[in-house]
Amino acid sequence: MGAAGARRARRAGGEPPAAPPGPLLRISGLTKGFPVDGERIQVLSGCSLEIDRGEVVAIVGQSGSGKSTLLNMVGLLDTADGGEHVFNGVDVTRLGEAGRARLRNTGIGFVFQSFHLLERRTALANVSVPLVLNGMPLIRRRALARELLESVGLGHRLGSRPHQLSGGEQQRVALARALSLNPPLILADEPTGALDAATSSAVLDQLISQARKRNAAVVIVTHDPLVAEAADRRITIREGKTFEEP
Amino acid sequence: MLRSLISGLVLAFAGSRANISRTILSCAGIVVGVGALIAVVTAGHVGQTYAKAYGEANTGVAATYEVTSPAPVDDVEAFEEDMLRAGGEAVALQQPLDSAGIQLRQGTSVFKDPTVFYTDPSLSDIRRMNLVEGRWFTEADKGSLAPVVVLSENLAEQLDPSGGYADLQIGNSEWLRARVAGVVEGTAMDDWGGSGTVYLMRSPATEEMAFPAGIGAADEMGMGLTYRVRVSPDGSPGEEAFTERLAGTSWRWGPQADTEMLIVFRADSFEEIEEVLGYLSLGLFGIAGITLTTGMLGVLNVGLVTVRERRRELATYRALGADRFAMFVVVVAEAVVVSVVAGLIALLGCYGIAGGVQAFVGDMLPAGVSVTVPLQGVLVGLGSAAAVGLLAGVIPAWRALRTSVVAGLRE
Repeated sequence: MGAAGARRARRAGGEPPAAPPGPLLRISGLTKGFPVDGERIQVLSGCSLEIDRGEVVAIVGQSGSGKSTLLNMVGLLDTADGGEHVFNGVDVTRLGEAGRARLRNTGIGFVFQSFHLLERRTALANVSVPLVLNGMPLIRRRALARELLESVGLGHRLGSRPHQLSGGEQQRVALARALSLNPPLILADEPTGALDAATSSAVLDQLISQARKRNAAVVIVTHDPLVAEAADRRITIREGKTFEEP
Repeated sequence: MLRSLISGLVLAFAGSRANISRTILSCAGIVVGVGALIAVVTAGHVGQTYAKAYGEANTGVAATYEVTSPAPVDDVEAFEEDMLRAGGEAVALQQPLDSAGIQLRQGTSVFKDPTVFYTDPSLSDIRRMNLVEGRWFTEADKGSLAPVVVLSENLAEQLDPSGGYADLQIGNSEWLRARVAGVVEGTAMDDWGGSGTVYLMRSPATEEMAFPAGIGAADEMGMGLTYRVRVSPDGSPGEEAFTERLAGTSWRWGPQADTEMLIVFRADSFEEIEEVLGYLSLGLFGIAGITLTTGMLGVLNVGLVTVRERRRELATYRALGADRFAMFVVVVAEAVVVSVVAGLIALLGCYGIAGGVQAFVGDMLPAGVSVTVPLQGVLVGLGSAAAVGLLAGVIPAWRALRTSVVAGLRE
């Protein structure tokens, strides 16, 4: 298969890209501040983090400690003021907006606390969105979206809209969407925050097992000690800095 | 960029389908605006077609000169040849025979005051003759021993058509049996209360009846022959040049002729019609433009409101990998999809209304004129709808791009 063929196969979600050597994510000395009432509040002041492929990492910390800000940096949703940030062998600080968008599409899956499903679209259409943005043809993306929903146990809810689904089902749709392009990294921001205990456990199990099946790393931001315990490693954020928990 | 464009279009189309109520609300203003625009184009087209048909039937096609010769004309054939040489493309005698006292008679009924034109078959090349029955004159009719006539519709309605107007007679000093070749739609003169028009074919059999003193001799008013001459559609060579050329050859047909004695003027009304329609269209386009602008502001308003309401949705797209260009395409394309859908609805509405109007007034319109949406109406309607969508989508799209992804996701 030539380079173009390999790109096509990857784009179609059939084959993961060849992994570059080294950790999947390496962040060093990351800083970020926000202007508030004329003053600059430093939220992250030198965060460092290394995550390998297939690892499950929990980020914990008090409210306002900078967990979500760090997750936004890792997810390329926001830009850092300074520091190093290498993802999957790419120095993302050198990427422009379009490059970051492309990397978000192919390299990172998001699972949000409030699901962030498109309200008037079916589960199938919601899972298809990253595939549309990836340029996948209609027939292929429909088949893949169906397959993903079946893999999270929602094969019977393909045509349901978010308001017709329970919280757990909505989060599983979001999980299927996050997995749609086989990203090497899944970011989950309080993924069980809106769910009851029983559903939380089921969703968390599914998130971790699906990620392990694909050798994808998972970064979970959580307040929930039970969720944090399910991770391979725990990192605490305090005063804008990261600390590895024993 | 192509991928962003395509994915933006796919998401925009899906968004318009999913948010059908928003789509319909946005449509309303555009439907009215585009509908007004299509109606204006249609009205202009129908008006132009009507005016053209009316003008061509009454005065002649573009461009037609009326040429009145000095009296006497010694050699009519040479005079007609020279009118062609002077720039005419078709020449036909259209001589009113007011002073000849020609009447029609059918049985005991005598029709005393018909307008009688002594004319040639070539008049139908110069004036639109909308036949409702029979045919116009042919060269073969010249050999007829009976006078051959074509009647106006209002005159024919006063006659008994049985046996092909078998007992119709025409004459002044003596009655001759007339042969009716056809019936033609009335002209303005007929419609405004005239008693009817008889077109009498020029032929050896009728020349004495039409010109008791001989063709080319002066009538009671001292006037000679009156012709319709079709020249180039752009009006060239112009009345003055035509008159000079014709007068320059007057030695061939009339020794007394000079430019002062030839009366030449443009008889068709196209220049006036074009001018009037131009002003009318300008006014109507102005009204349609205002309506369309109002519709555009409606779409713009809905677009701005929905962008504000959809910050979370747009931020989700961005989080899932949409770049700024794809987002721009999503928002603009949604506005364009809404507008084009509205344009299609307006177009269908206009087709329906035009069909209804045609059903009501179709019988009253001249031949060849119908109330229908022209192709330019379709193109102007859909084109303006797309353009309005594009314009109305740009500002909300720009707003959408300014929205922070993180802030949008927090909403």
